[in-house]
Amino acid sequence: METRQALRPLRILFHATLPVTHTPVFRSVASRRHQSTASRTKKMLKIPPHPDFLTPVSGQNHIIYNPPPSTASVYHTPFKFLPKSDPRRQANLSQLVRSSPDLHPSSRSATALPPLTRKTEARERKYNVTREQVEEMRELRAKDPMRWGVLNLAKKYDCSPVFIMMCCKASAEHKGREKERLEAIKARWGPIRTEARNEKKKRRVLLFQGAL
Amino acid sequence: MLAPEQIFNEEESHESSEESASFQQANLPRKTLPSPHPDRAPRSAKLAALHARLSLSKKIPLQILARTLVDPSADAHPQFNNANLAFVGASLLQYHTSEWIVTRYPRLPMGIVFSAMNGYAGGPALLRIARAWGVEAAAAPGEKVDPGYLQYSREKPTVLVHKWGYARAEVKELEKYKWRRGMSSRVIFDDPFGNTVSKEPKEPKDPKDPKEAAELEFRQTRDPDNSEIRDGDQNAHANFVRAVVGAVYLYCGSEAAKTFIKAFVLSRTLDISNLFSFRLPQRELTRLCDRENFDPPVARLLSETGRLSRTPVYVVGIYSGYDMLGEAAGSDLESAKIAASINALKSWYLYSPPNVSLPSDTFEEGAAPWEPAYIDMGEIIS
Amino acid sequence: MTIRALEKVSVGQNGVGAFILQCIKMDIHYCDQSGSSRGMNSFIKSELSKFAALNPQIEFAVSPRPRKHPLIIGHYINGKQKSICVRNMHALQILKKVELLRDSSGEKTKKVNKPVTSINESVRGVWSPYHGNGMPV
Repeated sequence: METRQALRPLRILFHATLPVTHTPVFRSVASRRHQSTASRTKKMLKIPPHPDFLTPVSGQNHIIYNPPPSTASVYHTPFKFLPKSDPRRQANLSQLVRSSPDLHPSSRSATALPPLTRKTEARERKYNVTREQVEEMRELRAKDPMRWGVLNLAKKYDCSPVFIMMCCKASAEHKGREKERLEAIKARWGPIRTEARNEKKKRRVLLFQGAL
Repeated sequence: MLAPEQIFNEEESHESSEESASFQQANLPRKTLPSPHPDRAPRSAKLAALHARLSLSKKIPLQILARTLVDPSADAHPQFNNANLAFVGASLLQYHTSEWIVTRYPRLPMGIVFSAMNGYAGGPALLRIARAWGVEAAAAPGEKVDPGYLQYSREKPTVLVHKWGYARAEVKELEKYKWRRGMSSRVIFDDPFGNTVSKEPKEPKDPKDPKEAAELEFRQTRDPDNSEIRDGDQNAHANFVRAVVGAVYLYCGSEAAKTFIKAFVLSRTLDISNLFSFRLPQRELTRLCDRENFDPPVARLLSETGRLSRTPVYVVGIYSGYDMLGEAAGSDLESAKIAASINALKSWYLYSPPNVSLPSDTFEEGAAPWEPAYIDMGEIIS
Repeated sequence: MTIRALEKVSVGQNGVGAFILQCIKMDIHYCDQSGSSRGMNSFIKSELSKFAALNPQIEFAVSPRPRKHPLIIGHYINGKQKSICVRNMHALQILKKVELLRDSSGEKTKKVNKPVTSINESVRGVWSPYHGNGMPV
């Protein structure tokens, strides 16, 4: 224990100079699970305490910040969701400065944020489709539903497929045809695929209950 | 449900012991009582043990505790069954539970509030509480049963506690055609659990033959649509718990009743975050951010592993501007995004203000003045 | 109406909020003649009334069981019973056994090898390999 205490400044120095890069020798030793003798294995498995738990060089008391390696609980309300009257909001006003990008556009660039899952995530909502265009797309959909499917219409009018589905309703005849086609496809599924699809449905129910 | 003559007979049969003695002296046939005589209560060991087990005050007499154990299906006379006490107790239970839920989680949607109410103070929860109190049901109710047993009959109809509630005019159509009921109409018209108050089962048109009437009532109690009555077991146990709360209120006051409810009902654990089942979480979150003037939510990939493998994991966070609102892991980007949106919405709905005081705290003498609780704007997509 | 509520029932933990003694009834059997009941008879005479007064939550039923060893049976809220034969024990030993039955929860005895058993969520959440900054070893 004493030797450890004595070696501590040295180790800190070592950590400071070589924070990430390990020597290849060290890595090969660490990747092996045991050494030739029990005492050497024991020695190898002895890991130093987390740097937060070491007393700093100045020897003063300090705050240990060790965030939990887990998803935040839903009972932990994000700062943005706290109402104005909440005392936790007043107590943590620095968050407010941090969270408003228009206050400090230069200090935190967008690169600090993790990447988007899709490019379409960040698109602006545009309300570009006019009433006449809606009428037109309804006509098109009614005239030739095979040619003017939802995705084609969405591409033509530069809007989201959901919006097309909100505007137009396919005819019962087209719906029936599509359903028949789908049934024919389903009829060709074997037992494994059918079961897999059923399980997928069950997983989806669980997903929306937050139980997955 | 009960013919007036029967009630009259019942009253007579519950005369004081002296008079019944004189009846016996006159060799008149004495009708057996439907439930044990109240005079027997102080001599019942079971009852005294139950009284002590619940740590009830000495102010509550054993006779009253015995009365809380008699369900209307065992003894139809309102002065000897627990219907009235249960009604008082149910109002108190529902009041304290609802104020506790609403002040603790002011943003909960109404459907979740109803479900949480049901989880804390509904029939199934009260059944479990009664079981945890060690109350046993008598095989069949009657005069000779020990007053410490819960007495109810599965064959006879009982009184539902919310019988006196407002019954909608269209309740039949609601049941038959499954009409849609909006949440706001549930708040106003229905019982505290969001269920419709159905009218009493109809009286038999010609109750001349008591056997036939009993048969009809039996069928009504076994009606599969009327689950509340069908589950007579649960209803009797729940009514008992409600009646004990009512008795505590009547004999020890509102503060004691509140403490009792807190100790036995509200101290139980119910994870409200498990009550949600979403349909359109992403749209709902977008609407929420619009309503509150937040930046629109975007999904960002926090970390991932094994994208090309059979079991990939993506950790997706929902961001509004620079703030992360929720995060979740999923086996594909879409489901991770949905799960993260659900977490973000839950953390909105499950906001809980610190140091809340309940409205009923101000009932005490010398209580601090009422500080208004946080009230939320309401549901996002109603 | 986009959120549907699921039905869940709250879970009670004895001692959180209120404590209910799990032993609800105790049957005490004795024999007037046999020598193995001598201690039991003196227990009934001297100790039982005191014990019963101290534990009003328990219903006591004393009944003779001629030509048999003395017996105590505890009945519990979970529907289980525990019985102890107290032959040839003297009153204070029987008192110990009665206290043992009173303090029992009625569950089968099982090995508890975790210091804490809780249904509450951990403060630090469920560990995930994708969160937190791991420490390089």
